[in-house]
Amino acid sequence: MDEILGLTQMTRVEVVVNGEDMPAATELFSKVGARGFTAVSNVSGLGHSGHHQGRLLFNERSALTLLTVVLPAERAGALLGGLRDLLANRSGVMLVSDTWVSRPEYFR
Amino acid sequence: MNSDKPVAARVRLLVQVEEAARVVAPLWPLSTFIAVNPLWDLRHMPFDDALAYADNVLRVRGYPSPALFAKAYASGRITAADLWAALDGNSYDGRSTYDDSGGDPGPVAPRAQTAAERHDCLVGTRIAATVDREVAKWCGAYLAGILPDDAARGFYAAWREVVVYDPAVRSLLGRVGRKHVAELGEDPEDAMLTCLELLGVAEEERVRELARHLARMPGWAGHAKWRSRWAVPDRPGPALHLVDYLAVRLCYETALVRAAVSGCGPKWRGPRWDPSSRGSEGANRCLEDVGTRPARFAAVGMADEVGTRLSRLAASETARVWLSAYEGHYRDWLLATLARPAVAPPARPAAQAVFCIDVRSEGLRRHLEGNGPYETFGFAGFFALPIRYRSFGSAETVDLCPVLIRPSSELTERPVAESIGAAGRQLAGRQAFAAAQNAFSSAKKGALSPFVLAEAGGFLAGPIAFAKTLAPTRYQTVRRWIHRTVAPPATMAVDADPAAGAMSDEEQALFAETALTTMGLTHRFAPVVLLCGHGSTTENNPYASSLDCGACGGNRGGASARAAAAILNRRTTRHLLGERGISIPDETLFVAGEHDTATDTVTVLDTHLVPSSHLDRVVALQSALNRAGTGLAAERAPSLPGTGSKGRLTRPSGRAADWAQVRPEWGLARNAAFIVAPRTVTAGTDLACRCFLHSYDADVDPDGVALETILTAPMVVAHWINAQYYFSTVDPDVLSAGDKTAHNIVAGIGVVQGAGGDLRVGLPLQSLFDGESEYHEPMRLLTVVQAPRRLLEIVIARNPVLRELFDGQWVHLATREDDRDCWKIRRPDGTWTRWTPSEARSEEMTARG
Repeated sequence: MDEILGLTQMTRVEVVVNGEDMPAATELFSKVGARGFTAVSNVSGLGHSGHHQGRLLFNERSALTLLTVVLPAERAGALLGGLRDLLANRSGVMLVSDTWVSRPEYFR
Repeated sequence: MNSDKPVAARVRLLVQVEEAARVVAPLWPLSTFIAVNPLWDLRHMPFDDALAYADNVLRVRGYPSPALFAKAYASGRITAADLWAALDGNSYDGRSTYDDSGGDPGPVAPRAQTAAERHDCLVGTRIAATVDREVAKWCGAYLAGILPDDAARGFYAAWREVVVYDPAVRSLLGRVGRKHVAELGEDPEDAMLTCLELLGVAEEERVRELARHLARMPGWAGHAKWRSRWAVPDRPGPALHLVDYLAVRLCYETALVRAAVSGCGPKWRGPRWDPSSRGSEGANRCLEDVGTRPARFAAVGMADEVGTRLSRLAASETARVWLSAYEGHYRDWLLATLARPAVAPPARPAAQAVFCIDVRSEGLRRHLEGNGPYETFGFAGFFALPIRYRSFGSAETVDLCPVLIRPSSELTERPVAESIGAAGRQLAGRQAFAAAQNAFSSAKKGALSPFVLAEAGGFLAGPIAFAKTLAPTRYQTVRRWIHRTVAPPATMAVDADPAAGAMSDEEQALFAETALTTMGLTHRFAPVVLLCGHGSTTENNPYASSLDCGACGGNRGGASARAAAAILNRRTTRHLLGERGISIPDETLFVAGEHDTATDTVTVLDTHLVPSSHLDRVVALQSALNRAGTGLAAERAPSLPGTGSKGRLTRPSGRAADWAQVRPEWGLARNAAFIVAPRTVTAGTDLACRCFLHSYDADVDPDGVALETILTAPMVVAHWINAQYYFSTVDPDVLSAGDKTAHNIVAGIGVVQGAGGDLRVGLPLQSLFDGESEYHEPMRLLTVVQAPRRLLEIVIARNPVLRELFDGQWVHLATREDDRDCWKIRRPDGTWTRWTPSEARSEEMTARG
C-alpha cells in the first residue's frame, strides 16, 4: 500500500441512496469488513431520475443520504460489485476515489 | 464467523435478498399494527405492471373480482357512462384500452417457482408445503423464546443447534438426513450459497427464486423484513432476519429435494397435489394457474354497445377498465360535490378543534360544526411532534409518530406537584396488578402449575366468562372500579420543560410553527383550541391497534395531543413563535382531547390544567363534543351488522366492551380520498367518513414547504392505509388476516389461522366484509388538492416518491387553484386534463360516434 507523507492510501466510496436503502447499503459495508462510515442525511440534488428534495420533514425514508466509507483497496472490489447491483434498480449515485488516511489501523 | 465463501459472493447474495424482498411488505408487530401497501417496494413500476409481477411471484389477485364489478353495475354504482369514459382512448390514465384485435392476451410470463415447487409439479411430492410447515413451526418457536437464543447468532444458528433433535425432521429425512440438514453451512449466507448451488439455481435466477421463497409465506417473510429493515437495530428480543429466514428455508428445501431425487426421502402419502387448489398451507399459492389473472367478462344486463366493446378487450385490460370506471364514478361524485360554493367558517368561533386526518374524524367534525360556532381543522394526529413517550411509572416507551420517521426526543408524563402522594399509591397498585399478572402468566406456562392454577382459581373462570359474555358493559364497569380502587387515579401532565429532558425551546417552537403553518392556523385564534387525538377501545381484539392512530405509529393519540398542547401553552414557545410571525393571543388556551372511535365519545384531557378563566368555555366545548359524538354514533350505527336487534349491539359502548364482538367499528373501511384544502371546501358536506381531510391554506405557504410535507408524509400514510384496505379486499386469501374467529396469536407479533402456518398479513375479514359482501370499496386513493398548480408541479418534480405514486397510478390526483377554478386531473405523463363527469364525456363520445 502506498505511503505519502506518512499517509496511507485507501479507497473512498461515496454513495447517495434513499433513506430506505440505507440499511441495505450499510449492511454491505459491514459485510466487507468496513470499520465505520459517515452518513449525511437530507442531501439534495439533480440526477438521472430528476430532482431530489433534501429535507423532508416527516419522511426520512424518502430523503437522500450520503454515505462515505473508506477501506483498503483489496476489500473495495467486493463492495463496489454489491453497490453496483444494489443501485441497478434504485436511484442513487456511487463515486469511488483514492484517499489517504493518517491512521490506517482504524480502517483495516 | 468463519466463512468458506468469497466475500464478493456473499455481498452479491445480500443484494439479491434485498431485491427479492421487494415482493413482500414489512409486517409490524400486533401492538403497533401499521397499515402498509403490500406492494410498496414495487412502486417503481406502474400500478398495472406491479400487479402483473405480484401475480407472477406472490400469486395475488390485484383487481377486484368480476363479481364485485357485476354487482356494482347492477346497482348503478358503475354506469354505462363510467365504462364509456374508462374505455375512452383519451381516458385520464392516458392509456388506450380499446383493442379491436379480438382480445389476444399476448404472451404470459411463466410463474416464478422454487426448486421444491418445480419438483412437486413434476413428481407429485409436497416438498414446498412441507418446507412451509417446518419453517413456520421454527419461526414461531424462535419468536416465542422457546429456542435457545443468542441475539448475536440469530435464528439460523438457534435453529441449527436444535434441529438435529427434531423428530419431524427425522421422520422426513431419517437419522442421517437430519444431520445433513444442519451441515449445509455454519453461516447463514454460506448455507444459502451452498443450497443454491446444490439446487442448480443460476446466478441470474436467484432474485426470482428467492422472491418466490419469500412469497410463499408473506407473513413470516414480512416480519423478517420489518425486523431487518424497519425495526431499530438494537430492539431487544429474538431477531428473525431475512437472511436467516431464507437460509433455514433453503436448507430444508435442499435436503428434501435431494432426498427425493435420490429416492431416500419420505413416502408422500395422501392425495396427489391438486393443481387447481390454491396451495398447500391454505393461503399459499404455489401452483400453475390459480385464477388470479384477470378474466374478460361483461355484466348481465349491460348495454349492447358497451358490452360489445368490453368483450373485444384483451383480458388483461378488462379489469383495468372496470376498476377505472368504478373509481371514476366516485371521483365524479366527489369533485362535483366539492365544486359547490365554499362555506365560510364562523366569524368568531367559540373554539377551534384540530382533529386527526383519519376518515373517522370527518363525521365528528361535521357534527361538531353543526352543534355551535366551532371551527375545525385536520392535521396528522401526532401534531408534528415525533416523540418517544413514556407514561408515568412505565419502563417502556412508545414511539408516537408515523413509521416514516424516528422520534427526535422523549417526553415523559409526570404527576403534578399536588398529586405526588396519589401517584405513589397508583404506582403501588399498578405494580400489584403487574405482579399478579406475571404470576398468572408464569403459572400458565409451567409444566405442573397449570393444573394447580386450574384447581385453585378455576372456579372463578366460569362466572367471569359468563359476566363478560352476558353483561360486558357492567363487567367493564366493575373491572374499572376494581382498577380505580387498587390503583387510584392521579393527576398527571406531560412535562415539556427542556430542563427536565424534553426537547429544546427552539425545537419546540419549530415543531409548533410547522404544525400551525401546515394546517393553516396562523392567525384568528379562538380562546380555546382543542387538539384531539384518537384511539379505539375494544376487547379481546388482537388487531386493536389497527383501529388506533396511524400517524401515532399505531398507538392512541391522546398523549400526542397532550404533549402538543403543553408545548403550545408554554410562554417560551409563544414568544419564539411571535418572532416567527405567529402571534398567539394570551387568552388562547390549547387543550388536549381524545376521540374514542369505537364509542364516539370525546374526552377533554388534563382538565386540571384549565384555568378558571377558561373553564366555562371548555365545559361548553365538552358538551358540544358529547352531542357531536352522539350524533355520529347514531349516524354510523345502521352500518354496523346486528344493529337492528335490541341490546348491546345497537350501543357503540356495548360493542366496544363485548369480548365476543368481532366488529366493534368499521375502522377506516370505505376510505377513498385525501383532500388537502381549507375546511371551507368541505364544510357542510356529508362525506360519509370516507375522506382523509388535511387542512391547508396555500396563502400561508408561498414556497410550498407545507404542501410538500403534507404530500410526502400524511398522504403517503393515507396511501398505505388505502392500499392495505384495497389489497386485503381484492385478495383476502393471501393479503387479509382472515377470519378473526380462528385467530391464534403467535409470540405477540402476529396471528395464524388455526393451529399454525404463515402469519397473516393485512386486515381481518371483519374489517372489510359484511358477511359475504364487500363493505369496503376497493379503489385507489384519490388525492384532491386546492393549491396553485405551479406549486404542486414543483413539489412533485423534486420528490421521486410522488412521481412514482402519481405517474404510476398508485394514487390519482385532482387539483384546482381556488374555488373559482375547475378541477384538473393529472395524467401519468405529467400533463393535466380538465375534469369532465363521465356522463358528459359519454354523451360527447356518443355524439362523436
